[in-house]
Amino acid sequence: MSRLTKLISLAALLVAPSMATAAEVNVVSWGGAYTESQKLGYGDPYQEMSGVQVNWIDYSGGLSEIKAQVESGAITWDIIDVYARDTIIGCDEGLFVEFDFDNDFPAGVNGMKASDDFFAPMPSDCAVGNILYSWNYAYNTDNVNFDGSYPDSMEDFFNPSKYPGVRSIYSSAMSNLEFALVADGVPASDVYDYMEDNGIDRALDKLTELCTHPDGGCIFWSAGAQPPEQLVSGEALMATGWNGRHFNAIVNEGSPMKMVWDGQILDYEYFVLVKGGPNQEEAMKALQYFTSSEGLAGSAKHIAYAPFRISSLDVIMADEPWFYSEQAGAVEIMPHMPTAPANTENYVLMNPEWYADNNTEINDAWEAWKANL
Amino acid sequence: MTAEIRTSDGELLSVKLKKVERRRRTTAFLLAAPLLFFIVFAYVIPIFQMLGRSIDNAEMNSFLTETHEVMQTWDGSEMPGEDVTSTFYYELKTAVENKYHGKIATRLNYEKGGFTSLIKKTSRKLKNFDENANFLDQFIDVHKKWGDIEYWQALKRGTDAYHFRKYLTTFDYEQKFDGSIERIPEKLRINVTLWLRTIFVAVGVTFCCFILAYPISHLLSVLPTRYSNLLMICVLLPFWTSLLVRTSSWMVLLQKQGVLNDTLVSLGFVADESRLELMYNMTGTFIAMTQILLPFMVLPLYSVMKTISPSLMRAATSMGATPFHAFRKIYFPLTYAGISAGSILVFVLAIGYYITPALVGGAKGILISNRIAYHMQQSLDWSLATAMATVLLIAVLVVYWLYNKIVGIDNMRLG
Repeated sequence: MSRLTKLISLAALLVAPSMATAAEVNVVSWGGAYTESQKLGYGDPYQEMSGVQVNWIDYSGGLSEIKAQVESGAITWDIIDVYARDTIIGCDEGLFVEFDFDNDFPAGVNGMKASDDFFAPMPSDCAVGNILYSWNYAYNTDNVNFDGSYPDSMEDFFNPSKYPGVRSIYSSAMSNLEFALVADGVPASDVYDYMEDNGIDRALDKLTELCTHPDGGCIFWSAGAQPPEQLVSGEALMATGWNGRHFNAIVNEGSPMKMVWDGQILDYEYFVLVKGGPNQEEAMKALQYFTSSEGLAGSAKHIAYAPFRISSLDVIMADEPWFYSEQAGAVEIMPHMPTAPANTENYVLMNPEWYADNNTEINDAWEAWKANL
Repeated sequence: MTAEIRTSDGELLSVKLKKVERRRRTTAFLLAAPLLFFIVFAYVIPIFQMLGRSIDNAEMNSFLTETHEVMQTWDGSEMPGEDVTSTFYYELKTAVENKYHGKIATRLNYEKGGFTSLIKKTSRKLKNFDENANFLDQFIDVHKKWGDIEYWQALKRGTDAYHFRKYLTTFDYEQKFDGSIERIPEKLRINVTLWLRTIFVAVGVTFCCFILAYPISHLLSVLPTRYSNLLMICVLLPFWTSLLVRTSSWMVLLQKQGVLNDTLVSLGFVADESRLELMYNMTGTFIAMTQILLPFMVLPLYSVMKTISPSLMRAATSMGATPFHAFRKIYFPLTYAGISAGSILVFVLAIGYYITPALVGGAKGILISNRIAYHMQQSLDWSLATAMATVLLIAVLVVYWLYNKIVGIDNMRLG
């Protein structure tokens, strides 16, 4: 054998193992109990069914990482779980694959075609719906600073004289501006109309009042697992957060916490497919399963987020108690959904377009506010 | 006439010597070459690239080259003519077809807020334009902001191939279209606050380190070796632990339900309802950073103190000086080299810190480096990030230059 052939066969030997392994799909999501529900709900079942390995990667939102990957030409992500705002921005910038919705996604188990089966129209051509979730706030019922009376409205969150203690809020503007306006007396359904008209300043003033109040004060969370931790450790008296994470802490971990649904922000979450990802074809197939009626219903078995498909709710309701965990056993999940009637008496519907269009102005104002606090 | 001295193989000795010398130099250079190569490619070149990014706007310029050229003849005193608006329309159309209008929107938005929504809305409506009608009117129909001349002015400036405006932003100033320089609206000012806070934290931490390190270093230098070695290990121990582990440990200790507060409550020093706020404020930043940077002060001080002979102090006392006087006049001046070396090290490290303050400092823990990271990772305004990084680099070089002037770099003792 000549040296060249030897070298080539050596190279082939080194490359072969990576070629022999089954296809992989890298899915990026928010970590913690949420990723766990996605993995158990549709990731693992799909892996078993198709033989394609599904890898879950944690991130804390935003498009910067995927932009950096695209710019450096080394894309490693296939599917990303993103805010509606980011599907719009990313789609405009050509980062994601545009879908031909009804051809790309299967009809629901009820026979409805995909575009009718999803609750709401997609914010951009690159998005496929995943869940409906809620931004609300929770408190620790065992905290010594409550003496007998507990908060039950958004005004209470912003009233440190009535409930003295530190508040934990999201580290970006999203959710905080809406909560502040609702607490300041703006009707929940009109929040974004006020935003256009000096509402950011009004919201920031309300937040300043809370965060600089001698009995108040603010700390900031950036990962979804933090608010329940801060409540349990007593670091914060009340914390805003995602309802599924609060639910997880209450039901699975038995934490003495309670959620307040008044003034909640109902928000949608989406999947996008990265253009030019390492395994775009396999990823598309995986995504079709993830967002099918059974797929989306599967994640609700493990967390209290509402599936985006109407037909998934049929799947769940036909089989209640649907939620199951080792710690809590079987639990009826429908009353814990952010869309349950008792939870939607007063709610804000997230307006992703407002965030997508005014992203920079909002962030500049927010960061300056935070730094001068 | 002196005979030429030759070596045994018949060569001139002077030539041979030079050859040997040259070979030795080459060997020495080759030994150092990998490091030199590494430094040039991994350090010097990236730094210059970074400096370039802060003024380079060539990509944006390439997106709208023709618009930029046509606009050179427009003085910006009244609304632009059809030559400008039609060129802009066709270039924006190409951008939408090739999907880089998002980039244009983002970049122009750095020039003037509101451009993101303006470009995006216009892009969506571009297909309805009548190419035979007045373009300006159609732009204004799509979005009333096009009727505001400031947006056209920003468009002209935003497509310059080079500019230094990011350096103004670094200090919360902006340049108006007529060339005048003004401070930005008060609610948006952020950078000056952060520069001052960063310097305050760096100076404060350096001072805290000095106060704590001086007695420790002295003790280390006078103890018998077997004890001082043990103490030295205690000083160095934090060096061997990862930064994140040390920072998280401080979080466990300092938080409201943390070890320190629990101890104070159980000993009855503070009431359960009024636990001390040791974290998510300046206190937390100072405590954690001082501990992390302490070894950088101890080591230079120790190395200097080790060389001070104890007989000097004895001599001073024997001549009637009080211990304090002897310390002030004899011992302290001899440790200047160590103090300055330690201070410059700690200061330079502290000025660029951002992970620790962000974790334990809460909103008050945001320093200028956090802003640089924010613009690198979140807002993606890389030219602003690099402009800020350049200013930080210059600040460090100035400190170094001052040090060299006052103390002299040859006197630096690092242990």
